[in-house]
Amino acid sequence: MGKENPKQHQPSLHESTHSLKGTFIAVMLLGIFILVAWFGFYALFLSR
Amino acid sequence: MATNQLPLAKKDARLYMAFMYVTYTALLVGGLMGLLQTLARSGKYTLPFNINYYTILTVHGVILGLVLTTFFIIGFQFSLMEKTVGISDKQRKVAWLSFWVMVTGTIMAAITILIGEASVLYTFYAPLRAHPAFYFGLAFVIIGSWIAAFVNFRQLYVWKKAHKGQKSPLLAFMVTINMLMWFIATIGVATSVIIQFIPWSLGYAETINVLLSRTLFWYFGHPLVYFWLLPAYMAWYAIIPKIIGGKLFSDPLARLAFILLLLFSIPVGFHHQLTEPGIDPTWKFIQVVLTFMVIIPSLMTAFSIFATFEITGRKKGYKSLFGWFKKLPWKDVRFLAPFIGMAAFIPGGAGGIVNASHQMNALVHNTIWITGHFHLTAATTVILTFFGITYWLVPHLTGRRLTPRLNKLGIIQTFVWTVGMTIMSGAMHIQGLLGGPRRSNFSEYAGGEQVATWINYQIAQTVGGTILFIGILLMVYIFIQLTFFAPRGVEEFPIAEEEKNAEPTPKILENWYLWIGITIALILFAYTIPVFDILKHSPPGSPPFDWPIGRG
Ligand SMILES: [Cu+2]
Repeated sequence: MGKENPKQHQPSLHESTHSLKGTFIAVMLLGIFILVAWFGFYALFLSR
Repeated sequence: MATNQLPLAKKDARLYMAFMYVTYTALLVGGLMGLLQTLARSGKYTLPFNINYYTILTVHGVILGLVLTTFFIIGFQFSLMEKTVGISDKQRKVAWLSFWVMVTGTIMAAITILIGEASVLYTFYAPLRAHPAFYFGLAFVIIGSWIAAFVNFRQLYVWKKAHKGQKSPLLAFMVTINMLMWFIATIGVATSVIIQFIPWSLGYAETINVLLSRTLFWYFGHPLVYFWLLPAYMAWYAIIPKIIGGKLFSDPLARLAFILLLLFSIPVGFHHQLTEPGIDPTWKFIQVVLTFMVIIPSLMTAFSIFATFEITGRKKGYKSLFGWFKKLPWKDVRFLAPFIGMAAFIPGGAGGIVNASHQMNALVHNTIWITGHFHLTAATTVILTFFGITYWLVPHLTGRRLTPRLNKLGIIQTFVWTVGMTIMSGAMHIQGLLGGPRRSNFSEYAGGEQVATWINYQIAQTVGGTILFIGILLMVYIFIQLTFFAPRGVEEFPIAEEEKNAEPTPKILENWYLWIGITIALILFAYTIPVFDILKHSPPGSPPFDWPIGRG
């Protein structure tokens, strides 16, 4: 936003050349781990 | 930032190192107490000199949970502020004042606990009563930290005035968020200490409203854990990318995550009070929902970290799906220690979601599972990141270098910590699910059947605790080396930069009135009615109890 900051006046072309496939899969795995853990402990709760 | 390579002026470095000295003294003392606890709970060892178990438990919690963390965080944050927005002579003087006020409070509280006059654990739940000096000491620590907070606010304000229209440096923004959260949160516990505990411990008030005091404590207690976590996030977002040779993934994403953490840090304290009678279940439900909002900035953080790793690796030319992962600088302890911290946060965070789920909380409440949980989050995720910061911050401040030998010792330290904590925290989690209680000294509980299933896990905790204490000795040794003996030189202060063509950061992310306004609105929404209920319908207050634990 700064006038002194010339880089922000350039049209911003975020480099989308880099693949983020690995990141996508890693975050999905993380989400699955959280869900599995939650339902696992929920099952333990129900069984008691 | 051109200044990152330059050492700081001596007078500045001295201030930040003062905070580090207290940090590492606290680590040694608090760690020793932890070792003694696990030994006592093995049932094979009695504490010498008639030392009370609850005295060392209190020392451990207060010294590590409140003193070590607060000193490290404030010292580290001051160094970040200087690197990004600078510090004036006057600000430095006031910063020293904050240090000495905090030290005074720490010494008052520490002596009171050590002579057995405040065996009330770090939560100091009423109606356990400590000597008034303990509460005064805590109040001084908080007031000292407020002075530091206002210096930080002033530092950013002065920079903003001199740089009209520019966005603030990311790390300065993050420090400001953290201190803002800390200030709003500590108002709760300070109110409780000053209005409730101090008059009551002095004998001016005969009784205390127990539920109110616990509610005010947890109004502070949950943001307390974010106060520990956010400096770790600062390193993950803005320092680790530099260490691995990459760039900041996204400045706006990082700012938004910090704002969300501020918004949802305070109106959530009831998730620590789910078994508390006297609070309407509707409000517990609302605060649990607000608690779960933290999953959003947490997953944003995870995404951002993975993306930083992947982009950095791909720029270096690794094409396969996870090839970039192998090429991270595993042999650099400045990366490895925080990385293990990040990894520990996966089970730590999952466990936290279990704790905050009302029904499942019944499974683990008051069991040693909880102790296992915060040893994963605070004592692994946070502390390993703090160690990771120490490896470059201390030599940067002392004008020395992290030598290959010290780097290697650091890697061994990280390994020792990981093994010790896996054993100790793992055993605590399992024993908790088997019903093993937290807080309490060794007992056979008159020989119940279930009790027999616990003892092996307690012995495992002794083994883990012993390994961890070796890790502490190693870390203190490394700290002393980096402070006094490592060869002279220049150690980099790593701050990641943005990509040249990064999208501009939306201005709204720096609209402090807006974010503080929403924070306060959420707090008022979540707490006003239940607190009125508590004030109106509480049973008669409690007189103080000095026995079986408390004083003497
Ligand atoms: Cu909490």
